This record gives sequence, structure tokens and C-alpha cells, in this order.
Amino acid sequence: MTDRPIAEAPPRRLRLRPRGGRAFLIAPPVLVVLAVMVAPIVLIALYSVDVKTNLPFTPTKFTWSMWKDFLPPSGKFPNPFWHRFEISMVITVVVSLIAVAAAYPLAYFLAFVSRRSRYTLLLLILAPFFTSYLLRVIAWKIMLSNHGVINTALWDIHLRSHGDGLPWLIYSKFSVGLVLFYSWVPFVAVPIFVLLDRLDPNLLEAAQDLGAGRVTTFLRVTLPLSLPGVIAGFVFVLIPTTGEFITPLLVGGPGSQMFGNSIQSFFQDTPNWNYGAVLALWLVGVVFVMLLVFGRFLATDLREANS
Amino acid sequence: MGAAGLGGAVLLGACGSSGSSGGNSPSPTTKRPPIGKEPGKLSILEWDGYQAFGTPTNKKAGGLIAGEDYTKKYGADGLTYSLIVNDSEALNKVRSGQQFDVIHPCIENLQDYVHDGLVQPWNTDLIPSFKNLNPALVKGGQLDGQQYFIPWDWGYGSVIYRTDKVDPADATGWELFWNPKYKGRISMWNGNTTNFEIAALKLGYGGKAMDHLSDDQLNNAKNALIEQYPLNKFLWSSEYSDLQPALQNGDVWVAYSWQDQWVYAKEKHLPMAYMNPSQGRLGWYCGFMLGKDTKNYYHAHEYVESFVNHKSCLSLTNLFAYGSADATIEPSEITNKAVAKSLDIGNPNVLSSADVHLQSWEPNEAAVQQAWEEVTASAG
Repeated sequence: MTDRPIAEAPPRRLRLRPRGGRAFLIAPPVLVVLAVMVAPIVLIALYSVDVKTNLPFTPTKFTWSMWKDFLPPSGKFPNPFWHRFEISMVITVVVSLIAVAAAYPLAYFLAFVSRRSRYTLLLLILAPFFTSYLLRVIAWKIMLSNHGVINTALWDIHLRSHGDGLPWLIYSKFSVGLVLFYSWVPFVAVPIFVLLDRLDPNLLEAAQDLGAGRVTTFLRVTLPLSLPGVIAGFVFVLIPTTGEFITPLLVGGPGSQMFGNSIQSFFQDTPNWNYGAVLALWLVGVVFVMLLVFGRFLATDLREANS
Repeated sequence: MGAAGLGGAVLLGACGSSGSSGGNSPSPTTKRPPIGKEPGKLSILEWDGYQAFGTPTNKKAGGLIAGEDYTKKYGADGLTYSLIVNDSEALNKVRSGQQFDVIHPCIENLQDYVHDGLVQPWNTDLIPSFKNLNPALVKGGQLDGQQYFIPWDWGYGSVIYRTDKVDPADATGWELFWNPKYKGRISMWNGNTTNFEIAALKLGYGGKAMDHLSDDQLNNAKNALIEQYPLNKFLWSSEYSDLQPALQNGDVWVAYSWQDQWVYAKEKHLPMAYMNPSQGRLGWYCGFMLGKDTKNYYHAHEYVESFVNHKSCLSLTNLFAYGSADATIEPSEITNKAVAKSLDIGNPNVLSSADVHLQSWEPNEAAVQQAWEEVTASAG
């Protein structure tokens, strides 16, 4: 038996509004979601099967032909757009993994090392992100260019002859990866930091009391408990980077354009919005699958964060 | 140059018939509010560098005085520009439903704009300088007996290259873009159909064939571009922020360009040459079209008049070394006579000469653009 007092039953939640009122409250956000998310996807889907077209006076007729052309193995091989999709996914996954690897020590430092000034430091890390994304990419373009600050410094210290810039520094997969990495690292660090910050210090002390060293404590206690944050951070990079096109457009070269560039180009530079719609809808589907796969980890993260 | 002046005079004589045949109001019964009742805020689809005199961006591009009469009368605040980087983008923007009062496309898309119902004919009676325009260019701007296109500027597309970096023996023709010796130092334009025209010229499909490629020719051109594409450092979109600095600081040695970049390089004493390829240069001319649903009908006409008048055309030639549609420009008025002579600016018939391939309407443009997307997606 326990002598803890029996908790009083919580009062029944007061019904502030009749049932009809709930539907009334829910209707505006549902309508907004339908209008700005579902309707555009339906529209794109209609374009992808040639039921709609952007060309005036052009007849339309339902067809899967463009899907068949794009999707392997029925499409022509090698389909250049499928090829570009594969390259984009490689860039995306590599950038996401490196971003997580770099963000973890940063979050760890913020959570455990600089306990008193952590929020000031966090604000400083996020400070550049108060400016526009486009401006930050252009700033990188200036720094990485052949006559930018990095090459100029190499010339000044005579590591390279004057005028001879590093050929891979800009308009390459490296430059695209670097700028994407820079753009997303803070967003990866934040969810990891949130979990580490809320970690019960008693657990770490208990591990040490039981004889675990620092490394063992990290590997067997800290890391597993922060995994939801790591996965959330990974997804935070993975999903937006999958459809990225601005960064490759500005700092990428011919071999480092991404799948998003093909979509943008179809809608901007060609009359064939229908094929662009196939690529766009495919990307929406890929992101949707990613959300299904990683969504439960994100939910765990929220529960952890709220606990 | 004397011959050019004579040519201009001869053309001027012929201009009356040309102008009247394609001019006048398309539908005299249309009721329009007078200019005083129009909103007066013009929305213009334009290339960077052509903004009217008095607008904030005009100075950046060197101070072209075109449009001065309009902005003096109505102010520059009412002008809103949407900028384009290539002709396909311009057509797509209008097709997507964006409303513009005045559009500045090039002649190769005239049929697309008209047949898609995106534009309406001009009333050439409202453009006093129309009578001075080169009749050959004026005629090219007519369709179904209506003047849908007021020609204004013309020029060449060719290879610009650094003479201090490129071996003169290599600089013979368009094949310079395919020379692996210059890998990573080449920059072609982000202009899908133009790049296919270049590939066509390199493969020997010159003249009219350049814009009427058969399926086999298109496939050959595509394969040639797949071979060429990885040699580029990047594809330039903006003359001023991409191409000019890259050529100037030596990041790029070989590029596709219009002649204004060569004139700029000459002024800056940069070691650059503008090639006259063995296969011939590309030629182009652009002009103004009137948005189908414009609520600024009379303002739009006054705006275009302020661009095609004599002093604006002269400014265009003296600033950028582009040709203009104005056939009344005298050789004595051109400031840089050597440049004008080397580019044959005074020759009103230069776009129809054998070594200039005028970019024109492509019946299979959609297939060409699709092929270009495949070219860019195949790299990596």
C-alpha cells in the first residue's frame, strides 16, 4: 500500500461550443490546406497526364505516355531526367549526412559545454539566417568565385600562381554541396540541441556511477536518447534539398545541376509544362514517401520534446 | 559608310508602302478610353539594359536615352519592368497569363504570340517614327496583314574570345566551343534554341535548315551539344552580372555573345575579339509587341514611339553598337565609325546577307526545347 494521496479525478473538460462550432472552427484551416496544398498538386497531376495544357488552342487527351517515358524501366534508357534525379538524390543524401555529422558536435557544445551562454550562441549561429536565402547564396558565389576571397588569399600566400583559381571551388558539385551544407547546418543543430538540452542529467550520472566512461556514456546513453533529434535534423535537410534549384543555379556548373533545375527549366524555358509536371509530381511523391518513412521518428521527437 | 547612307535613303523611299500596308488601326470600331482616362502604369517585359531613360536601372546599363520623351512627359515611376534572360522565358511568361502592356521579344516568336492570341496589332498611325523604319524589318513584323511587331534593335550572335588566351589557329568558327583545350573556360548562353542553332551551324545545317531541323538533324545536334555541354564553366544568363565579369577577369575565355560585349571590351582595352565564324554569324532582330488586354493602349504607343524615334535609335547604335530599325541614321551621326564599319551596322540588308543566319521561327521549337532539357540533364 502507499500512503500517497489518491489523486482527484480531473474535471470533465468543459464544452465551450456545441459540436457544430467545432466544424466551423476547423473549416478555415482545412480550406486553406485544400486550396494551397491539395489543389495545386491535383492541377499538376492533370498536367502530367495531358488533361490540361498551358498552350492556348491545344487539344488535350488523357495519356500516361510522359510517365512511361520518364519512369524506368519502360522509358528510354538512359533517361537523362532519371539520371539527374539519381545524381540529385546522391547530393541530397551526402549533404544531409555531412550536415548531421557537423551539427551534432555543435548541438552538443551548446547543450553541455556553454550552459550559461547557450541561447546567445544559438542566436549568433542563426543570425545570418535573418537575411534572405538568395542573398546568402550570392554571398557564397562572391567568396568562391575565381577572383573571390579564397582564391585571392591563396594567391597572396603564394600557394597558387596569381590568376589560377581552384577549378573545383565554384560551378562544381563541391560548391553546391558546400552552400547547401552551410544553409542547413543550423536547422539540423536545433532539434538535436533541444533533445540534448532536455536530457535528464541523472541518467548520465547513473551511467558513470555504474562504471561507464565518457565515451561509453555518450554511445550508450546520450546518442540513443538524442537519435530522434538526429533523424529530425536529417529530415529537415533531406526534404528541402531534394527539390533544391536556386543553389545549383547560382553556384553549380553543367555537371552539378539538380532535379529541381530540370523542373524549373521546363516551366520557365519550354512550352512543355506537362513533362515538367511529371517531374514535379514525381518529386512530390518522393518527399511524401520520405515523410511516411521518417514521420514516426519526428512524432517520437515531439513526444520526447514535450515530455 | 556612304553606301549605307544611300541604302537608308532608298529604303526610306520604299517605306511608305510598307508602312501603310501593315499599319493602321486593326479594328477602327473598337472603343477605347482616351489617353487621359488610361491608368498610365505600364507593365513591360524587357531585357536587362533596355529600361527607359530616367528609370533607376537605366544608368547601370550605360545610360541609353531611349524612352526619354515618354519619361519626360509621364515620369518614370509608372514604368514597371519584368526582366527576361531569353526568348523562351519571355514567351512562357506571357503564355502563363502574366499581363504586360508592352513586350520586347525577337522576331522568331512572332507567330507564337499572334497565334496564341497573346498580342494585338499596333495602330502605326499613332507612332510617327514608324515611317522611318527599315521596310524589310517592318514587313517581317507583319502577320495576317496586321503590324503586330514594331522592329527596333538588331545585331549578331557570335563567339567572343580572349585573344591573349586563345590560339588564333583555333578561333576559326563555331567549333571553338567544342575544343577540349578550353574546357572549363567556355560559357555558352542559357538560350535553348540558340544553342541548337549553333550546333546546327557547326554541323553544316546553315541558312533556313538551322531552324527547320529534321528529326535526324535534331538528334545529331543534340548529340553534339551533349558533347559540348560539359566543356562549359557555366551557362550565362545575365550579360552584366555573369558574362561581362567572367570575360573581364579571365574566368571565361570563350563565350557566346552579342556585339555589345565586344564594344565594351574595346572601350576597356581588354584583349578580346568578336569572331566572324567560317560558318557565318547568327543574326537577330527584336521589337515591340502590344499586350492583348492592355488598358494602356495609347500610353503603350507613345512609349514605343519614344524608343523608335531617331535619337533613341542613334543612342542604341552609339552605345551598344547594335543596329536599329531607323533607316534615316546617317553615317556621320555614328560616333564609333570603325566599329560600325567592322559590324556593317550601316547596311540595311545585312541580315539577309549570305554569311548571316537570321534566327527565325522554328516549327518544331517544342521538340528543340525538349532536346535541350535532355542535353542539360545528361551531364554529371
